[in-house]
Amino acid sequence: MQEWRELSSPKINDDLLKFPLHTPMWFWVAAAGLGTVIGAGTISFAIMIGGGLQFLGYNNQAQWAVLITNFVFWIGISHAGVMISAILRLTQAEWRRPVTRGAEILTVFSLATAMLMPILHSGRPWRTLYWEFPFDFSRAIWPDVRSALVWDPSAIFTYLLSSVMFVYVALIPDLSVARDRSLGVMHAIYAAAAMGFQGTKRQWRLQAIAGILLSALILPVFVSVHSIVSWDFAMALVPGWHSTVFPPYFVIGAVHSGVSAVATLMAILRWIFHLEDYITDDHFDSLGRLLVVVSTTWLFFFGMDFYYGIFSRDEMEIGIWNLRIFEPPYNVLFPLFLLTAYLIPVPLWLFRNVRRSVKWMFWTSICVNVGMWMERYILIVPPLSNKQAFPFSWVTVYQPQPIEWLLVAFTFAIVSTGILVFSKIFPIIPLFDIKEGQTLRRVVQVGRRTVPGVVRD
Amino acid sequence: MADAAQAPVQSGAVDSLHKWGMVIDVDLCTGCQACVVACQAENNIPLNTADHFVKHRAMEWIRIERYWEGEFPNVKARFIPVTCQHCGNAPCEPVCPVYAIQHSTEGLNVQTYNRCVGTRYCGNNCPYSVRVFNWEPHRWPESLHAQLNPDVTVRTQGLIEKCSMCLQRINRAKREEARQGRPMADGDLQPACAQACPTSAIVFGDWKDRNSRINRLANGTRAYHMLDELGTQPNLVYLKKVDPNYTGHGPEHAGAPAQHATRSLPVISG
Amino acid sequence: MADGSRGGQGGVTRRQFLQAAATTSAGAVVFTGCQIPAREFMIQSRPQMAEDILTGYENYYATVCRACPAGCGTIIRVIDGQAKKVEGNPDHPLNLGKLCARGQATVQEQYHPDRLQGPMKRTGDRGSGSFLDISWDEALDTLRGRLEQIRRQGRQSEVALITNPLRAHRHFLVERFAAAYGLQWHALDLTGEAPLREAARRAFGSEILPEFDFQNARYVLSFGADFLGPWLSQVHHSVEYGRFRQGDYRAGQFRPKTSPQRGYLVQVEPRLTATGASADEWLWVKPGSEGLLALAIGQVMLAGGAADAEGARLVGGPRALDNYAPDRVWEQIGVPAERIRQIARAFGTQRPALAIGGGTVSTHTNSTESLTAIFALNLLAGNIGRAGGVLPNPGPAINGLTVNPRRDSLRDWQSLTERIRGGGIQAVLVKDANPVFDSPGALRFQEALANAPFVASFSSFRDETTLMADLILPSHLPLEEWGDDVPDPAPGFQIHTVQQPTVRPLYDTRSFWDVVLTLGEELGSPIREALPWPTFKDLLRERIRPLHTEGRGSVRETGFERFWVRMLQQGGWWDEGRTGESRQAAAVPDVTRLTSTFPAPQFDGGDRDYPFNLVLFPHNTLGSGENAHLPWLQAAPDPMTSATWQTWVEVNPQTAREMGLIEGDIVGIETPRGRIDLPVYVHPAASPSVLAVPLGQGHTSYGRWAERRGANPLDIVAPVTDQATGALAYGATRARLVKTGRRMSLPKYEGTAESVQIEEFQILKITRDA
Ligand SMILES: Nc1nc2c(c(=O)[nH]1)N[C@H]1C(S)=C(S)[C@@H](COP(=O)(O)OP(=O)(O)OC[C@H]3O[C@@H](n4cnc5c(=O)[nH]c(N)nc54)[C@H](O)[C@@H]3O)O[C@H]1N2
Ligand SMILES: Nc1nc2c(c(=O)[nH]1)N[C@H]1C(S)=C(S)[C@@H](COP(=O)(O)OP(=O)(O)OC[C@H]3O[C@@H](n4cnc5c(=O)[nH]c(N)nc54)[C@H](O)[C@@H]3O)O[C@H]1N2
Ligand code: SF4
Ligand code: SF4
Ligand code: SF4
Ligand code: SF4
Ligand code: SF4
Repeated sequence: MQEWRELSSPKINDDLLKFPLHTPMWFWVAAAGLGTVIGAGTISFAIMIGGGLQFLGYNNQAQWAVLITNFVFWIGISHAGVMISAILRLTQAEWRRPVTRGAEILTVFSLATAMLMPILHSGRPWRTLYWEFPFDFSRAIWPDVRSALVWDPSAIFTYLLSSVMFVYVALIPDLSVARDRSLGVMHAIYAAAAMGFQGTKRQWRLQAIAGILLSALILPVFVSVHSIVSWDFAMALVPGWHSTVFPPYFVIGAVHSGVSAVATLMAILRWIFHLEDYITDDHFDSLGRLLVVVSTTWLFFFGMDFYYGIFSRDEMEIGIWNLRIFEPPYNVLFPLFLLTAYLIPVPLWLFRNVRRSVKWMFWTSICVNVGMWMERYILIVPPLSNKQAFPFSWVTVYQPQPIEWLLVAFTFAIVSTGILVFSKIFPIIPLFDIKEGQTLRRVVQVGRRTVPGVVRD
Repeated sequence: MADAAQAPVQSGAVDSLHKWGMVIDVDLCTGCQACVVACQAENNIPLNTADHFVKHRAMEWIRIERYWEGEFPNVKARFIPVTCQHCGNAPCEPVCPVYAIQHSTEGLNVQTYNRCVGTRYCGNNCPYSVRVFNWEPHRWPESLHAQLNPDVTVRTQGLIEKCSMCLQRINRAKREEARQGRPMADGDLQPACAQACPTSAIVFGDWKDRNSRINRLANGTRAYHMLDELGTQPNLVYLKKVDPNYTGHGPEHAGAPAQHATRSLPVISG
Repeated sequence: MADGSRGGQGGVTRRQFLQAAATTSAGAVVFTGCQIPAREFMIQSRPQMAEDILTGYENYYATVCRACPAGCGTIIRVIDGQAKKVEGNPDHPLNLGKLCARGQATVQEQYHPDRLQGPMKRTGDRGSGSFLDISWDEALDTLRGRLEQIRRQGRQSEVALITNPLRAHRHFLVERFAAAYGLQWHALDLTGEAPLREAARRAFGSEILPEFDFQNARYVLSFGADFLGPWLSQVHHSVEYGRFRQGDYRAGQFRPKTSPQRGYLVQVEPRLTATGASADEWLWVKPGSEGLLALAIGQVMLAGGAADAEGARLVGGPRALDNYAPDRVWEQIGVPAERIRQIARAFGTQRPALAIGGGTVSTHTNSTESLTAIFALNLLAGNIGRAGGVLPNPGPAINGLTVNPRRDSLRDWQSLTERIRGGGIQAVLVKDANPVFDSPGALRFQEALANAPFVASFSSFRDETTLMADLILPSHLPLEEWGDDVPDPAPGFQIHTVQQPTVRPLYDTRSFWDVVLTLGEELGSPIREALPWPTFKDLLRERIRPLHTEGRGSVRETGFERFWVRMLQQGGWWDEGRTGESRQAAAVPDVTRLTSTFPAPQFDGGDRDYPFNLVLFPHNTLGSGENAHLPWLQAAPDPMTSATWQTWVEVNPQTAREMGLIEGDIVGIETPRGRIDLPVYVHPAASPSVLAVPLGQGHTSYGRWAERRGANPLDIVAPVTDQATGALAYGATRARLVKTGRRMSLPKYEGTAESVQIEEFQILKITRDA
């Protein structure tokens, strides 16, 4: 049984709209810090667009590396949003309420950021337009639908679009509250965005149905997106990329890193917005339990990938695993990855004290994402380094260059800034959802039975 | 290799007069690099600097791989030229999101530089690692521009390049054929690498010409397709290296390298 | 498909597509079925571009490759006066349409951005590199003034003209000029093959190098000669090697061999060359012991009665070589006696069998004796003048051309250096030679040259010697000038090739040969009379005329003009009927001399202090440094190591392990004469007792691509000579290895993994029988 405090509706409004309506000092400090990284990242971005990929550490073998690693990483992070929102919403898990919006926002921004990566990574980014959109009929330039690189942006676009809608539908009631409490330009913006939501019964009903429908519809998208991203690899002939478990392995890996990222995000939100009343230790406890299950499933799939390679006795496959595990430079990365992605955090999560400690959850979830970033790196780079049976051409000297690290930092800064700016404009914890939770928790004694104070439609 | 002649006529290919191909006789390659430099001269391939080699970004459309066998003094080194196999079932083709790669009706794997957006997916998927990305802009000192071949585009930065089987020469020969109104003879047309190769390790020809040298060579017992097991249906046929003293990985043989002829990949093997 | 208006084959036309797209809402369905018009995938070639694009005028000219001394025939593709590509001349008997990497790079030299663009005179200190542009009139006046002044003082013999070894009418011209003026002429070729010629004279009785008939041989025993690499005539040998192995794959001549006839190659050498890599058997021997091995093989043949009777008589009878029985000498060679006997049996029983030598064998103090012993194996195999054996070459087709071109030995060179140093030389003129770079460091030639009162260079590049010049009169490059050549070795019959200008001179340069004629004219009697031709082209036309009047060979025309044009079109003239004659009888005394003691190789540096043999070898594409200015050749991976743009040292894996060295570690190579620092390449075929280093790099001045990379190993070799010829024995220095603790990334094409095939996926398949 989770702890629960009764909060009044005005207090909820005050607490949760405090940040959107008032600007604390640290906001500017954070904005300046993130702005610096974004500025530096933008310059690198411009250098890349102007000068091409020559500044990267890529080589004739490692033709995909950090940027694609980072792409898969952010796609993975994006999976938490829907995982938390949709599944928990459909199963009516109570503890979801303060978590959902943050998670959804994380989805939107990490997806948008992820999509920057392939564009940056391509040799001629200004031409990527016809990669996805058939526009030049006269020269018969249209995408080749046989290519996984056409499926993957299609899936991601779909996912991005549905996530935006998902967030938006959930946001409408809160927008109406913000509208009522703001003046001037902001008032106009909130008013337009709230689309005349007044909280009538019909409006509430429609909003709830839309939410549930979107939850149900987005689930297959969520599963397919990372499956499709996995096909970028699984469809290729590169040894080490083919095992048949790739799609579920990618999906569960994404959930692992995504839920961890949500935990990190919640810890940060709780600290900076003083939301102890809303994001409680119970939430971290629940996330911790979920993570133990998800990460262990992920480890199982990881083991399957390894096992298929070994068991099939495909020598190239075995060679790639040998490179990943035993040969430099990956022999250093590999144990680090296993430790950070599983061996350190998961045993810790078995302890209730750890799960209920914001600090511990913050650091262990960060640890997981460091590990999962390395996992993608180890997944992508070594197979390309020793691709096929041409040992004369094998090259394992790929080293990410400063500009690559800067671009990685850039993506973190964009996502953080996105969330920060979003929470500056909109309540990061859904007011209505919290209130609904409050109401649902109120129970009424009717005779000898205890019934909810509010009966759902 | 009886099937080499019927080697792939790929999907949708309308019957055309020619189907180009090459036979590479591994027994003849001496590693001299004449083909490599000839290809660079013919195809406006940028100058490879020391830095390119250090970063492993050197651009060669045809490369000579050298494999060691054994230990001193029973040591051997063997050379094999590797270039685009112009696969009939090319793994590089369907992965390109923008149709920059197409199989020509004459059996060539054609790269359309104009279209390429530089995703390098094809580079990953080419099992022969012959697709080279041009990481840096192609630059020559002004005076060297005089040498550039006007028949071949100078590629811009950010796309994938590879052997075209000297398409410009094929086009020219076909035009010549049309003008003279008679079919060209086997050997009239040669790509730069085959033309230069001092030992004739590279032979170019038309699979559709039953009497062409490549057909006759590919019918011998030494013919094989590189990485045949992948089902890429290469348009290039290799002829095995002949080594009367070869013992594979078996043990002793008088005076010839025996041990460590090849290596086995680690962990368990069959 | 030239008709661009048609739709693609098997595809959809633009209009069809638009119709389809308009009538379906589900565009994606359409996309799956469509194909792009094939024309969209055509790389536009010049002949297919639209009419409004201007195209150039294209020509193909036959000429001669000057990138190495082999003298292959080439065809230059010229568009709008610009040389685009060098191709082999399919008619030329030497290379039959084939070409090596160096030949390809001729166009890169032509358009090299650091070419000198006109005459210059020195303004700053010698070697400082500051020069002032001057006119040809001034340059020629200065030079003529000098030569006149020296002649007035009666010191003509104190003028030294240094060239590379010349052939045909270049030799003719320079020889006449030198004699008429009275100057001393030196042809510098210190890393050349002087012992080879002397050995050929001793064994075959001819000063002309013979043709080794690989293509018809069944068994070739090669000692140190990297004949598939830069040795003598790379393309010619490679063409023949191809046929030796698998028959003739040329179009029109297609004649593949059937299995049992595939030739068998055994390569004997102290460092694995590309030729050794291509051999069926590779045999490591101690440096300098190759000749001893040849004698041991000869002993087995003689003793076992496997030798040709006439050959055995020439060598001195069945017991003549008994001192060299394998059991007695195997330790000096480093090869088990049984292995020697096995090779001897194979060589003695296979017919035709051919023995050749050169390369590293030519770099010792006993080179001439070694090579003589090696060549004598051909006498024992009875292959002289027979197909698959040693085919004597005839002399030049034109009278008055030398069969034995001038070549300076190290001894000549040492004495010249000392005379320059001592002020005994008034003027040094240098053409196509770079003695500052090419002579052993121990000679301190550059320092000596600083004492010469006047130095003139005719180089088109600012090489190390040109940097020391007072006057630079840049010559045309090969694509810009007239010339001719008599290949040496020739393919067994007479050849006379012509070199014609294929492009207009790019800069304000002049043909050196024309300059010599101009000087001769201006210097007056007796030089004017000796050189009565206004230009080198006139000289060539007049001197080549007999080829026309004799009415034989590949070009026969009625009038000389027609003959001349045909000859230019064909790239030269040859007469396959005019072969060389066998004169081996003359060899008898020299071969019998072998029966006394074989001279052991002498080394500079004791083996206690200097545990390694330093083996230097010409670089596959850079030669001994003359091609280091061309980026294609710098970037062409070395066949064995795939290293580029650098000098490296090949170290045995075991040695490397013991010393804790890995690839890229910089080590010092120390000899009694100095030290150079080089990155290590751990080389599976390197002997534990040998350090092998390529020549070619270490230029301090030779254009942007050559300068400041690698090291010149000639800087640390001892000025030791082959005893018989006085040629530089650059393999006769011992060395030690010292660690420096520094590292670099060795630029190489090979990746980072050990390059050994994967057993289950052999991309390079091997079969035992053809
Ligand atoms: N050696 C070996 N053989 C195997 C297996 C193995 O493990 N090893 N696995 C077996 C198994 S489990 C399977 S499922 C089979 C798979 O074997 P196949 O069923 O042959 O599978 P695909 O290779 O995917 O080929 C399907 C074809 O359908 C086309 N296609 C794609 N989408 C559509 C569409 O919407 N409509 C139509 N009409 N065509 C479409 C594709 O282009 C492709 O040509 O292979 C079996 N064979
Ligand atoms: N990358 C990629 N993914 C795919 C597909 C694809 O073609 N490529 N195809 C899809 C399809 S249609 C299917 S059916 C699934 C198939 O998916 P999987 O069932 O995973 O198929 P496999 O990889 O063929 O086989 C799995 C492993 O079983 C091993 N194995 C073989 N024989 C035996 C045995 O007797 N006992 C045991 N225990 N193991 C054995 C194989 O060596 C292999 O490592 O994959 C799907 N996913
Ligand atoms: S030119 Fe011929 S022999 Fe030389 S490396 Fe190329 S394929 Fe081999
Ligand atoms: S060799 Fe590689 S690039 Fe060439 S057709 Fe095959 S897959 Fe494509
Ligand atoms: S790199 Fe170019 S050709 Fe290759 S898949 Fe990408 S767009 Fe296509
Ligand atoms: S066929 Fe042409 S493009 Fe291809 S490797 Fe040979 S020379 Fe280069
Ligand atoms: S062997 Fe010498 S002459 Fe012949 S092509 Fe090569 S560099 Fe030119």
